[in-house]
Amino acid sequence: MQTAGTPPDAPVALLARIAQGDREAFSRFYDAFAGLALGLITRILRDPAASEEVLQEVFWQIWQEAARYDPQRGSPEAWVVMRSKTRAIDRLRAIRRRERTFVAPADESVTRSNEAGGENPGVAAETRALVRSALDGLPEPQRRVVELAFFEGLTQSEIASRLGEPLGTVKTRARLGLERLRSLLKREEPAEP
Amino acid sequence: MNRDEIAELAAGYALGALDADDRARFEALLAAGDALARAALRDFEGAVAGLAAETIKAPSPAVKAALMARIDAQGRGDGEAVVRALSSVKPKDARRSTWTYVLSGAMAAGIAAIAVGWIVSTAYDRRVTQLAQETAALKQELERQQSLVALLRDPATQVVALAGLEPAPGARARVLWHVTAGGLLVAQGLPPAPEGKAYELWAIAGKNAPVPAGIFTVDAKGVGSLRVAPIRVDGTVDTFAVTLEPAAGVPAPTGTMYLAGKL
Repeated sequence: MQTAGTPPDAPVALLARIAQGDREAFSRFYDAFAGLALGLITRILRDPAASEEVLQEVFWQIWQEAARYDPQRGSPEAWVVMRSKTRAIDRLRAIRRRERTFVAPADESVTRSNEAGGENPGVAAETRALVRSALDGLPEPQRRVVELAFFEGLTQSEIASRLGEPLGTVKTRARLGLERLRSLLKREEPAEP
Repeated sequence: MNRDEIAELAAGYALGALDADDRARFEALLAAGDALARAALRDFEGAVAGLAAETIKAPSPAVKAALMARIDAQGRGDGEAVVRALSSVKPKDARRSTWTYVLSGAMAAGIAAIAVGWIVSTAYDRRVTQLAQETAALKQELERQQSLVALLRDPATQVVALAGLEPAPGARARVLWHVTAGGLLVAQGLPPAPEGKAYELWAIAGKNAPVPAGIFTVDAKGVGSLRVAPIRVDGTVDTFAVTLEPAAGVPAPTGTMYLAGKL
């Protein structure tokens, strides 16, 4: 979701600077993406304290491995999302291994409130509403596959056995779901002033 | 491999949901520079990143502070680099004079000191990070407790009793509810939610549609709690209900109702 060209403070350029050990670039990259990463991690883990630990691990890794970012394989945003998701799911599996029942903490309001410190809560709320409505715009079977994969970290064959559907159907639903999500998000994107 | 098949692999890859063999196939395509695979992946990753935007949440400043401190203290493993660089230094004059031995002995001692220093500072840095995390967690817990105490002290806080319905008649819950501050739900006697499911609390104002008030699960004893953020509704909330829903939560109730109660 980036505009064309690469200004020096564009995420791709920031990552290149981080790879050179630029602390300031890291600070800006963190400010731009920590909220996105933490929201996703918290949604997966539902434990604010553990989520912030994972967030720290993710960004520490980014600091150390920025040179491994390959723009051919997706945007920096997608890279952060993928790393956050993988780390959060690793942690979730570890927790589940440790205790069979997973008890959500009392403070569950995290994914719903605009908390102090958010750079631009108005815009964030708007984006969230947009994504929510896009998700709601998916047919139920596609939405389930997308949510099970993305927020619960199930693989396609795990989803197939969970839903009692053939693997091929799950694969097709994942593709159709993302195609639709992409076009819904594009269509509803507000015009630039 | 046809276009649809590549798109399917790309979608699964972007969602991080491919099984190992499919992932290997798709990564082979990417590595081979398959234009179709790369284009499909970029498209889908954009959609997936958009999906993550739904949940944006500002981290506490302690996380960034700990990271920056860690960078300052350890900085990209430069200690290691210094040790490596020093290890590779060789005196220009290769003659093994007494001075060479003295110098190389001193250098070895220096390198050892740097290595030990680096190890100690890494351990120290890890401890500092851990303490920062513990402080952040304690601060968060304290804030939560303080807000609960404030909620209990406020005369405007109401207590709503929720009774168990047909699927779990023995279940009970209480909601402490404050119009502007939100509230707290404590439930007991609920059956543990099945895999992929969670309980969702709903706030209802008169005849309006239920508004989602949070998701929670219960422990093996059937006890669960939920801090409810202030909810914006038209009218005054007068009813709370709990239904069983997909774990991620839903915008409108779809599942069986387990608890309900009125103010």
